[in-house]
Amino acid sequence: MPIEVVLLFAWMLVIAFLAFIACTFEDLESDMGSQSNPNSQVQLAAQVGQVNRFFNKAISGEPLSNALYCVTAGAIAWILLQQLEPLVPGAEWKAAVLAIPIGVLGAVVMNVIFSTTAHCGRTAAMKRFEQPIYLDVLYGHLMPIGAHAFMTTFCITCIAYIQSNLGTLAGNPALNHPFALPLLGFVWGITVGSIGSSTGDVHYGTEREFQDRPFGEGKRVVYHGKITRYASCGIRTQRDIAGFCAKFGGPCTGMTFGLIILFTNWTTLVGMQLGGFLPNLPAFTAIGDMAAIWTIVLGLLIVAALAVGNVIFVKWVRKKCGPFVGV
Amino acid sequence: MLLIVVYVVIGGLLACLAAHLLPVGGAPAAMGTATGIATGTVQIMLGAAMTGLFTAASVDTFTDSILLVALSGAVGATIMICVVMFMANIIYGFGAGVVPISGRVDVDPITKEPQAPYKTPQTDGHGVPIVVFVSGSLGGFIGGFGGALMYYTLLNYAHFSAGTAAIGAISIFVANAILAAYNIRGTIEGFHDPKFKRLPYALVASFAVSLLCGIVVSLTAVLGGTL
Repeated sequence: MPIEVVLLFAWMLVIAFLAFIACTFEDLESDMGSQSNPNSQVQLAAQVGQVNRFFNKAISGEPLSNALYCVTAGAIAWILLQQLEPLVPGAEWKAAVLAIPIGVLGAVVMNVIFSTTAHCGRTAAMKRFEQPIYLDVLYGHLMPIGAHAFMTTFCITCIAYIQSNLGTLAGNPALNHPFALPLLGFVWGITVGSIGSSTGDVHYGTEREFQDRPFGEGKRVVYHGKITRYASCGIRTQRDIAGFCAKFGGPCTGMTFGLIILFTNWTTLVGMQLGGFLPNLPAFTAIGDMAAIWTIVLGLLIVAALAVGNVIFVKWVRKKCGPFVGV
Repeated sequence: MLLIVVYVVIGGLLACLAAHLLPVGGAPAAMGTATGIATGTVQIMLGAAMTGLFTAASVDTFTDSILLVALSGAVGATIMICVVMFMANIIYGFGAGVVPISGRVDVDPITKEPQAPYKTPQTDGHGVPIVVFVSGSLGGFIGGFGGALMYYTLLNYAHFSAGTAAIGAISIFVANAILAAYNIRGTIEGFHDPKFKRLPYALVASFAVSLLCGIVVSLTAVLGGTL
């Protein structure tokens, strides 16, 4: 197999690994700040008399806020790359090593500012319910939120950089993705937030937020707002929650995004390989159509496998847990 | 020019239909209080469409067939939604000990398995049961197809650049997904949900919005000198 093709597959695996890290940290960052759907319970808690020490930063939906950070990081990095790459001809990676972290740092500053204003604004609005703004909670959570956000945005920006330069890195510039770096940051920022919001939240919302309620049942409407406020030692803050979710919810969410990136890239690359499109690139011929057909067929096979896997899993859980026996 | 308007309208209508098929659980699903994916309509639809768009854009670099590009977008979006639903079920099962159950029907229309005995009282179901998974997969496929169709139209018929075509397609997509979200009002499980019967109202609104978007795209292409 030609070295270009091997390199393409190798970079794809690097991208999938970065995606795993990115989404794991994205989920933990949202748990750390209680940003996503389970935030409704933190918001409700004070209103039902449950004064708490949770951090409350519902800046916006996760997809949109992550898209904002990733586009900001991508745009700063892209501008810096335009300036720095001509200075190091033949070793453009040196420009990337400097540009990407600086871009991400800009996005993290924005995140921390939003976190501060969102927490203070939301908590101040609960004054009538006697919910104080605990300054140690505010100060103590900003650094972990920023650190988690740095990891997420850094990995996504790296993915966008690799994809927009994939062909160049593998030795064939024609294979670069047609989207520019900031646009790829937007695409994956939206997607990472969408997955972190839809998958990882379940572990935080259904389990950790109501840990003093019976295990193995959906959380009843009557429990809403009555969140678990005490930790194994002392009063619970978000730092206890992130540590718990890092053991299952976070990695599962990371795996979701990692698998999605892996499958979508893998089907395209294998389709190109099976269609005879690699390493030469005859544009817009029957070979290209064949590559597309292989991509679609492989994708449908993966979808079928996931559907079968889901049927097996759901039937197994039904059998294992059985009908509801509580009251 | 007529072709651009027609394809944009078709893409918009498909996006609206897809949003109704997706199992949207919203915030209650994150607490296991409602069936479906634990996020809002627009957010999950946008995530799926973005993945589809990425695949479609990759495939568009080596084929000029509109059907193949649209289908590859559909498959990309379906993969995204299927992995999300499957992994959500894993977390519901292993992380919270919750059985995936529909809250809107007593018997699963596909497997004919009873649902009500497994449901937690005072909830509207939890997890992603099989009928909901099938409906969600269909939603992902149709939504991805519509998004990729609009991307191809804007790229190859209106002759926008790749970036502008992607942003344009996503913008029209979001407008239609938001219309669907208004119609859904909270949560929906899929084609078996009584709320699905509201679809015709959303399609009429979607047709109007997509037609307007198609005309704006055509005018932009003419005034910008790309058409």
